[in-house]
Amino acid sequence: MDTHAALYEQGKARLEALRELSPRHTESLKQKMEQHGITRRDFMKWSAAVTSMLALPLPFSTLVAEAAELSDRVPLIWLHMAECTGCSESLIRTDTPNLDSLIFDHISLEYHETLMAAAGWQAEENLEHALEQYKGNYLLAVEGAVPTANNGAFLTVGCKGHTGLEIMHHAAEGAAGIISVGTCAAFGGVQAAAPNPTGAVGVAEVVHKPVVNLGGCPPSEKNIVGTLMYFIMFGKLPALDMFNRPKWAYGARVHDNCERRGRFDAGEFVEEFGDFGAKEGYCLYKVGCKGPYTYNNCPTERFNHHTSWPVLAGHGCIGCSEPSFWDDMADFERPLGRQLLYGFDATADAVGAVILGAAAVGVGAHAVVSVFAKPLED
Amino acid sequence: MGKPATHSRDYIFTPAIRIFHWLRALAILVLVITGFYISWPFLVAPETNDTQVQSILRFAHLVFGFVLTAITFVRFYLFFFSRNDIERRSFRDVMSINSWIKNLKSYLWMGQLHKQGVYGPLQFMTYVAVSFMALIICITGLVLYANVYHLGMGGMMWDISGWITAQMGGLAWVRIIHHYLTWAFCIFVVIHVYMAVWCGIRFKHNSVDSIVSGYDYHKADH
Repeated sequence: MDTHAALYEQGKARLEALRELSPRHTESLKQKMEQHGITRRDFMKWSAAVTSMLALPLPFSTLVAEAAELSDRVPLIWLHMAECTGCSESLIRTDTPNLDSLIFDHISLEYHETLMAAAGWQAEENLEHALEQYKGNYLLAVEGAVPTANNGAFLTVGCKGHTGLEIMHHAAEGAAGIISVGTCAAFGGVQAAAPNPTGAVGVAEVVHKPVVNLGGCPPSEKNIVGTLMYFIMFGKLPALDMFNRPKWAYGARVHDNCERRGRFDAGEFVEEFGDFGAKEGYCLYKVGCKGPYTYNNCPTERFNHHTSWPVLAGHGCIGCSEPSFWDDMADFERPLGRQLLYGFDATADAVGAVILGAAAVGVGAHAVVSVFAKPLED
Repeated sequence: MGKPATHSRDYIFTPAIRIFHWLRALAILVLVITGFYISWPFLVAPETNDTQVQSILRFAHLVFGFVLTAITFVRFYLFFFSRNDIERRSFRDVMSINSWIKNLKSYLWMGQLHKQGVYGPLQFMTYVAVSFMALIICITGLVLYANVYHLGMGGMMWDISGWITAQMGGLAWVRIIHHYLTWAFCIFVVIHVYMAVWCGIRFKHNSVDSIVSGYDYHKADH
C-alpha cells in the first residue's frame, strides 16, 4: 500500500469513528448550505479545491466533503491572547457566508471569546467546562502572543484574573492538537517586536507540545480552515516546514508564485508608487516587496473569497508570515539591502561605503607616510 | 659572462594556489557587481521583456557563485592537506607574540618582516577570516539558491537549507548576512591589493608578481 492509500484508509477510519460521536448541532451542514443558497455543486467544487490546496490527490475530495459534514464532532476551543482579533475577522468577515465561514460556524466551536454570547462568570464557566468535558480530545486554536514578562501579568483575562500564560498552560494540557492562528500566536508578532517590553512570545515557546504555526497577519481563511479540515480528517497535524508551518500552505515563497514574477525576471521594477511601472504592474521589489523571503500561498489562494492580495492591490509583501517580521522586514517600503540599520540610521550600503572610504583613506595615508619613511636597511 | 646572481629564486606558490587565487578574484569581481544589481536593480527596464535582464544577471551570479563555492571548499582542503606546507608553516608565527609585534612594527615602517612561511601572522589571520567569510557567503548563497531552483541540486539541498534558514531566523536574515559580507569582501580587496603592492616595494620581495609566477626572490645571504 503506498503512502496515499494508507493515508486514505487512515482518514476513512478516523471519519468512521467521528460519525459515531453525537453531533453538536441539530441542523446538518447540508441543511445549513441550503439555507444559505450554497448548492451541492458549490460544495463539491469547494471540496476539490481544498483537496488540491492540501496537496492531496483528487480521490481525497470525498474525504474532505465527509470531514466537512462531520466537523461538528470535533470540539474546538479558540483562545484569544494578546491580539487584535484580525485572524478571526479574516475567517468570519466575508461579504456573503461562503463555505469556509459556514464550516467555521458548523464546527463544534466550544469557546470563542469574540463569537460567544456569554460574558463574565458565565464565560469563564463555559471555558472550564469545555476544557474538562473534552479533555484529551479538543483541538486548541490560539490567536495572539503570550506575554511572559512579570509572570505574564501584562495579559490578564476574565473575572478570575488568570494570566494568558496560566490559561495557555492549562488549556494546552488536555489538547489533542494545538494550532497557532496568525503570526502573533506563532512567533509573537508585533507584540514581540523590539524592545518587546511584555516579553511576548509565540505559543510554542510556553507549551511543551507540538504546535502548528499558521503565520500571517492575518493568515487567509483558506489556511485556517484547511488546517482544521486536515485535523478533522486525519486526527493529526499536517507535515510542517522549518518553522512548523504546514508545508501545503507555506512550502513555497510568495515570490515563487507571484503574478509579477515575470516582471522581476525581466528587470522591470516600480521605482516609486504611482509611476508608469506601478500602473503597468511591474515588480514591487524596489519599493520593498519581501515576497522573496516569505513563505506563504497568498499569490495562489489570495484573501476575501480569492478576491485580491497585497501585491495584486499594488503594494509589496511585508513578510507578515515570517518570524519577527516586524523587526526583520522593516522598512516595509524599502528592499532589505536598503533598510535603515538600528542605531546607525543609515543603510548597510551607506555604512559599508563609509568603512570602504575609511579603508581607502587609511591606505592612502599609509602610502604617503611610506614615501617619507626611512628606507629599510638591507 | 654575467654578474653572479645577487638573489635566489624561490618557489613559493603552487599552480593550484595561483590559479584559484585569480579565479577567485574574477568570481568576487563578478559576484560583487551582479550582487549589487540583485540587491538594488539599478539598470533601467529593457525595451522588451523578452530580454530577461534580472534573470541573466542572476544566472551570472549563480555561475560565479558556484565557482567561488567550489574554490572555497578546495582551498580549505588544500590548506590542510596540500603536500606543500608553505601556508601551514605560518601557523608558528601566529602562535608567537614576538612575531606579531615584529609584524605590526614592520607595517609601521620599523624593521624587517621575518616570517616562517609565506604569510605574516596578521596577514595569515586576515586570510583565515576571509576564508570563513567566503564559507558563510557561499552557504547563505546556496540556501538562497535552493529557494529558486527546487529540482536537482537545489532540491537536494532543500532540507539542509531549511534547517540553516531556521537557525538564522528566517530567509530575510540569510539574505541580510549575505549582503553584509559582500561589503566585507569589498573592504578586504582594497586593503589586500594595497598591502601586496606595498610589501613588494617596502621589503623588496614577495611582490605582486609571485602570485602570477609562483616565485619569490630573496637576497642570497638571507
